[in-house]
Amino acid sequence: MILVQTLLLVALAPLLHGAMRQLRARLAGRPGPPAVQPYRDLARLWTKQAVLPERASWLALCAPGVALGVALTLAAAVPLFAAPPGALDVVALALVLGLGRWVLAVAALDMRSGFTAMAASREMSLSALTEPALLIALLGARVAGAPPLIPHGNVSIAAALALFAFVVVTLAETARVPIDNQETHYELTMIHEGQVLEYGGWQLAMLQLAAQVRQLAFLAIAAGLLAPNLPIALAGIVVLSVLITLIENAFARLRLFEIPQLLTTAIVLAVASVGVRIG
Amino acid sequence: MRRLSAAVTTLLGLLCLGAAAVAFTTGPLPLGHLDAAVPLLRLDLGLDPLAAPFLGLLGVLAIAVGLGERRQEYGWPLAAFVAAMACVLTARSVAAFVLAWEAMALASLLLVAAHVELRTVRRAAFAYVIVSQAGALTILAALMLLAAHAGDASFAALARAAHDQGGAWRDVAIALALFGFGSKAGLFPLHFWLPRAHPVAPAPASALLSGAMLAIALYGIVLLCFVLAAPVAPVWGVVLVAVGAVSAVGGILYAAVDDDLKRLLAFSSIEHVGIVTIGIGAAILFTRSQPPLAATLLGAALFHAVNHGLFKSALFLGAGRIAKREGTVDLNQLGGLARGLPWTSSAMLVAILGIAALPPLNGFASEWLLLRGLADGLTVGDATARTSALAAIVALVLAGGLALACFAKVCGIALFGAARHGAGASGAPERFDAGSGALAGLAALCIAIGAFPQLVLAPLAQLGAQLIGVAPPDVAAARIPAVALLPLAGGALALVLARVRGVRFAPTWSCGSLPGAAAQYSATAFSKPLRRIFAFVLLPQVEKRVDAGPSPWFPRAIRYRTTTTHVLDRTIRWIGARVLLLSRLGRRVQSRSLRLYLAYAAIVLVVVVAVAR
Repeated sequence: MILVQTLLLVALAPLLHGAMRQLRARLAGRPGPPAVQPYRDLARLWTKQAVLPERASWLALCAPGVALGVALTLAAAVPLFAAPPGALDVVALALVLGLGRWVLAVAALDMRSGFTAMAASREMSLSALTEPALLIALLGARVAGAPPLIPHGNVSIAAALALFAFVVVTLAETARVPIDNQETHYELTMIHEGQVLEYGGWQLAMLQLAAQVRQLAFLAIAAGLLAPNLPIALAGIVVLSVLITLIENAFARLRLFEIPQLLTTAIVLAVASVGVRIG
Repeated sequence: MRRLSAAVTTLLGLLCLGAAAVAFTTGPLPLGHLDAAVPLLRLDLGLDPLAAPFLGLLGVLAIAVGLGERRQEYGWPLAAFVAAMACVLTARSVAAFVLAWEAMALASLLLVAAHVELRTVRRAAFAYVIVSQAGALTILAALMLLAAHAGDASFAALARAAHDQGGAWRDVAIALALFGFGSKAGLFPLHFWLPRAHPVAPAPASALLSGAMLAIALYGIVLLCFVLAAPVAPVWGVVLVAVGAVSAVGGILYAAVDDDLKRLLAFSSIEHVGIVTIGIGAAILFTRSQPPLAATLLGAALFHAVNHGLFKSALFLGAGRIAKREGTVDLNQLGGLARGLPWTSSAMLVAILGIAALPPLNGFASEWLLLRGLADGLTVGDATARTSALAAIVALVLAGGLALACFAKVCGIALFGAARHGAGASGAPERFDAGSGALAGLAALCIAIGAFPQLVLAPLAQLGAQLIGVAPPDVAAARIPAVALLPLAGGALALVLARVRGVRFAPTWSCGSLPGAAAQYSATAFSKPLRRIFAFVLLPQVEKRVDAGPSPWFPRAIRYRTTTTHVLDRTIRWIGARVLLLSRLGRRVQSRSLRLYLAYAAIVLVVVVAVAR
């Protein structure tokens, strides 16, 4: 069951990414690329040769695979169709996510490029705040014996707080406005995309697929926070994707040193959500 | 002679390992005792299960140092240091413990002050002496207080008395002893000497100071809270969680913005001591309401102390080898060490994965267990315990996120990338020798414990359960789930693909300019966002000097320096100045006249007799 779920998430992740990009373009009055474009991009990149900076180390060669492995772990652990495997709880999940982030940052430093290193510096600094918000929001949802977030259609305070925190975390983790911008082509403003600037060909395909799977998995976790049963969770994924696209269109990107304030707010709300539940 | 001292250190390590094995299997075992005229001064030595994990850790580290550094300059102080630490762990009476503790302080001082010709070293050693002696005095006072109520000075008698007759004196003793042990462990606010003293010692000594001596200070806290003064009031649990939380977050925050590798490692030691202290404090809080959970938490804290000893000493030994080859441990001047020092940097990479709590290394296993225990504590126990658990979780994950950033810097700047300076790129790569063998051994232990955590955890959890008095908890679930190994499989797959499909290598794109080593990101630049985000704690100061030359548009030289102010330093300096003033006043009674000194002695004698009657 876990295998089926993982494969399903991997198969659908590019579609979701393409659909969100299409919706965003439509809202901005552009025709935009079709929703299946990410599949074509992946197929095209997969056939191309990889190019790396001279004297890049083995770690840089490993990094795309590690990132994809982390995304697959996340996809396997989402409590959507199957219960999460064995002992893989939210704490382990957050630490596995940390491994993916760490390897990409070190690989970016290994490239000897100012652009990738700057992106790595920003990514690691900001994720020092994203990780607490993520873990605490998830722990709040996990707290044993606590009622589900939406017991009978009424949204509880704790649920609303945790959901807000988690949406902010999702924006940060999927590199979206107002925290990051995936669609810019200006190296100095990119955070997540900036790190992988030096990758190309099939290695870039692996990295892009990893980012798309991670995005779908995060949305699925957020939807799972909302509702314990499958149909509502699936609907939740769609609602959240639309919500995130609307946020992307409605807001400008924050200045770099305003982002910590947003992330700190998310941490405080996540802590408050746990506090309300245990208090 | 130097080889002899290394052999002695190795032998002591083997003895410690043997003693640990015996203590684990047979339980308490008296080794010998020496009666004195005054019962308070009796000396007892013996093995105890609680000391066993620490003896084992000390043994492993002593063997690594003894085998790895066979021609070291400070061999005899190192051997004496190891022996003194072993004595602390086998002391079973007040006098024996205090004597061994002082011997340990003295031996470690010799190592800290090894390069006494340097002014920074003298200042560091001075701060260390003061804190260390103040701590030893409070520990002596605390143990004497406990012994006075027990009527006997053996640890068994102390534990019995504390258990049977509680009272305010017990809390006074706990406060005094926590001050002493906390100062040795480098817990906030008594941490200020640690990042100065640990890095200035020779590398093997730094490894033992951070890897073993901090663990022994933590052993003191556990010994106090779960044996000598047990049961302690929950308020001490809250105190320990709070102190541990501040130490964990503060320590790693300063580490993340530091550019001196050895000082960075010393700051990170404060973080890990804080993490273990959080675990001990939480175990105290849950002892009454949820004993099985408390046992798990205590087991996880001990487990983390052992893990920290392993990876931190590996990193310090590695830093020593870097310093020997490159002549510096300044991260801004290091780079590409993976080429010049393949063995050292591979071992350090493993240790870094461990210290950043990344799967599947040993640091991941212990931090995961601790976090999971605290998360379980969110819904059980009383309100104080639950709130403390929440605060502890917040501190742990904040520290975890910062640790990732900190060690991405160490790894990406120093080990990978291009060499900036020195012999990193030129020069023959290092060959496998005894030193890199010792490092590889420590790294292999980190991997083995990460892969099979229950091997070490099971006896530790049993020990925790024994101290708290419950059945040992089930630790089978501590194994890393197979799914979490997917990233490793992915990495291997990517390497295979790169070999099969081939990767073309081309120059790095840097907007048309030539990408030289100097254009690489520096460590200072990497931590700049953190310095800005946490400016309210770090109080960064920037000093920028521009040598304009003939034209302001083409300056001849720009000097940029950034420093962080350590919050407590000003307070400490104020206290230090007052203490010096007092001691200057006190010097007036020292007239160097023998008759006057005899008169002092007579007066003291009269007062003592008068009070004693």
